[in-house]
Amino acid sequence: MKIFEKEPNLQFMNKRNYAFFLSGLIIAIGVFIFFNHGFNLGIDFTGGTNIEVSFRKDVSEDELRISLREVGLAKSMIQRIGESENKFFIKTVKTLEMKASGEGTNEGTENESGEGEVGGGVSKLIEKALMSNEERERSANKMDLNNVSQPEIAGLLVSKGVPRDTAEETAAKLITFKSRSDNSTLGLIGSFGEIEQLDLKKQALSVLKENTYLGSFTFLSTETVGPQVGHDLRQKATLATVWAMIGMLIYIGFRFKFVFGFAAVITLLHDVLVSLTFIVIFQVEVSLHVVAAILTIVGYSLNDTIVIFDRVRDNIKLMRGHGAGEILDRSINQTLSRTIVTSGTTLVVVFSLFFFGGEVIHSFSFTLLVGVIIGTYSSIFQSCAWLKIWERKAIGRKKK
Amino acid sequence: MSNAMGWKVGLILAVIAFSLVMFYPPGEKINLGLDLKGGMHLVFRVESDEAILMQTNNNVVRLKSLLKESSIKFDRVVRQGGNKIDITGTVFEEEEKIKDILDDYFGDWDYLFSSAGVALSLRPNIEMQLKEQTVNQALETIRNRVDEFGVAAPVFQRQGSNRLLIELPGISDKEKQRVMGLIRSTAMLEFKKVINEGPFASEAEALKQYNGVLPDDLVILKWGSKSKRFAGKYSVLQAANAITGNDFKNAKRSTDGYGGPQVSFSLNSSGASKFKAFTAANVGQKLAIVLDRKIITDPVIESVLSYDSVITGQFTMEEAEDLSLKLRSGALPAPLKPLHEQIIGPSLGADSIRKGIYACAIGLLAVMLFMLLYYRAAGINAIIALILNIVILMGVLAYFKATLTLPGIAGIILTIGMAVDANVLVFERIKEELKTGKSPKSAIDAGFKKAFVTIIDANLTTIIAAIFLFQFGTSTIKGFSVTLMIGIVASMFTAVFVSRVIFDLIYVQRKKLKKISI
Repeated sequence: MKIFEKEPNLQFMNKRNYAFFLSGLIIAIGVFIFFNHGFNLGIDFTGGTNIEVSFRKDVSEDELRISLREVGLAKSMIQRIGESENKFFIKTVKTLEMKASGEGTNEGTENESGEGEVGGGVSKLIEKALMSNEERERSANKMDLNNVSQPEIAGLLVSKGVPRDTAEETAAKLITFKSRSDNSTLGLIGSFGEIEQLDLKKQALSVLKENTYLGSFTFLSTETVGPQVGHDLRQKATLATVWAMIGMLIYIGFRFKFVFGFAAVITLLHDVLVSLTFIVIFQVEVSLHVVAAILTIVGYSLNDTIVIFDRVRDNIKLMRGHGAGEILDRSINQTLSRTIVTSGTTLVVVFSLFFFGGEVIHSFSFTLLVGVIIGTYSSIFQSCAWLKIWERKAIGRKKK
Repeated sequence: MSNAMGWKVGLILAVIAFSLVMFYPPGEKINLGLDLKGGMHLVFRVESDEAILMQTNNNVVRLKSLLKESSIKFDRVVRQGGNKIDITGTVFEEEEKIKDILDDYFGDWDYLFSSAGVALSLRPNIEMQLKEQTVNQALETIRNRVDEFGVAAPVFQRQGSNRLLIELPGISDKEKQRVMGLIRSTAMLEFKKVINEGPFASEAEALKQYNGVLPDDLVILKWGSKSKRFAGKYSVLQAANAITGNDFKNAKRSTDGYGGPQVSFSLNSSGASKFKAFTAANVGQKLAIVLDRKIITDPVIESVLSYDSVITGQFTMEEAEDLSLKLRSGALPAPLKPLHEQIIGPSLGADSIRKGIYACAIGLLAVMLFMLLYYRAAGINAIIALILNIVILMGVLAYFKATLTLPGIAGIILTIGMAVDANVLVFERIKEELKTGKSPKSAIDAGFKKAFVTIIDANLTTIIAAIFLFQFGTSTIKGFSVTLMIGIVASMFTAVFVSRVIFDLIYVQRKKLKKISI
């Protein structure tokens, strides 16, 4: 199968101004939105706490906000996870000072600069906010089956007279059930009815019914980042990206002529800026994952560009007597089918990652998706266009 | 088959076998990251400056008593910052005596005599050494504490000059609070004589007893919130310690006569003799037990004690257990400031694995389908190379015990897309050569040769970017860059070496090769 029957003869160099204009426009939009809204920075960069909660029953955002207000967390950002009715992200940027009660647990030093105990404090508060009073009472006497580990369940059963291997088997079944693929109440057991379906031994089941209750929520994950770390990360991220690009510049300068390196780096910059534009337009949460995706794009987008430059280098030798514009056009056309196929296959996998990879790496897969598309576009329409501008240095022919 | 062919095929089979053995069964052999396993990831900064400050405080007390013992005149001995001590009010005639003491007992300090007195400063290299030691000791202490708690496969690491990374897989929600408490508590236990129990409502009130100026050898401390009698109030204690947690040989939870939890401890021999001397001199006085600078109880010294005793103080079973654990493992030499804390529940971890594998499978199938459609029979070549690629990737991951994280799975998926890249480069080149009229055999030859350079160039840039990522990223991101790098290298191997071998194997038989399916 071929994409093109004959080698295509598309005119790229003539149209390069359109390409410049389009990219310029997109980036301008990005800058505009940046100044108006800024990025949706994740806690990796701002510091703060991010908690993923899964509720047993459907909860509305308003209910959630009211509960949080009662513990002073009204300003937290609440976001539904995907389309679910009962899973939320709760993000607070405030780092609260919370000394744990009791001696000898978490007393800090007198030198704490108002930051106090970050994570433990906030997640405890949220836990308090979300638990109803009756639940709090119950938790004093009974084990919350939705918030314990496998050994704890087994331990409880054994202490009530269940033989050890039954206890372990039961505990294992329960834990597996909690992470089942029917995603609606991930991490939770909805009702005792659900447990009864699990084919557990009678004795274990009755011990569970008597001594445990089903908590109304569980934290799927919590993450707390101190503000200092956030600041460090911002620095490191920028540095890593800049150094990576310098690295690319040197590498290409070596393999080709230096001018090629410049053209490549500008193309890369373009890719990063346009990717950032899409990130800011869609207000994707900027986390470490996103930075990783951007660095990956920096490396990957160069793939296509190098293949084209490779061909240009060959054609300069082969096509003596032809002008720079012709050489560049020819090179792009020759590699076009290859570029489309490789970008195509990468796109296919990135789409797969985007649609099926889940919420946790959603910002990562989105950035990657945008980056791969933009990277391909830029390799074709931008990299050689920039070469043409410095054609004398790159190719050493008169304009034609 | 010729010899050259023979060893090539042999090599490929060996690599396959090695990889399969390495990573099968995947459940056990592949090291899963926290985001897939569930667990706690903690990063702390060791406030080693605090530790130096505390030591300097102790040194001030020591210096004072040494000077007093030798009847040397002085006004005050005062700590300046974390690493300087000033002695004021000394006389010139006693300079030699002071020098002797300093040389004997304060060898780590530089000193400077002036008309104002003596200025001591801690030698910079000693200070650095102490900070090093503090961080190492903090790590060890935490390791001991967590070891007792019983976590499977914990990770304890130093990061940089003063950060600690702790990973505890499989911790449940309920356990995490306890573990955090266990790790962060300095657990500094001090026994001080009570001078004036009060209790005083505030520090200022306590100071009134001394006309607003607290004598050097006393200290005012607050009672902990668990005390039924004096929570939140203040008492005046002697600054110097009778004994501290460092004098403990062992501590364990036990029960008192009424079944209430308490901590019974035994002292080491130097501690025991200190304690004996102290209690003998102070029968009838109250002895305050201070934990992390809060008073928990002040029993009356009823008789002379030496080796064994108990601490009671409204503990719950768990608190008594944790306190004994902390005392056994020793006090933290410096406070730990939490920088980053991440807890992934096991349900989320399992969910992530599921989604990752699903996306991987779909991506793989889609690419395979595409290769077949587009390159026809040669596509099979690419598919074999691709599957091999993944097998090798998993084998290498297992061999290096590298950690597979969710971004790492994304890296595998990305590799699938990019692995094909190298194959495509070769095939397109072969197609081109065929068009220029070359015979199939020489087209294959030329295709591989010319594409080789381009493959290296193109993939190398991605590897460079991955290296930068590795340097800068956290452990989950490192997982991504590692799988990416291994995947790319493996893909270069399969595309250039394995594909070629397959081509040769299939077409080498036919002498007159007219057409290849590509």
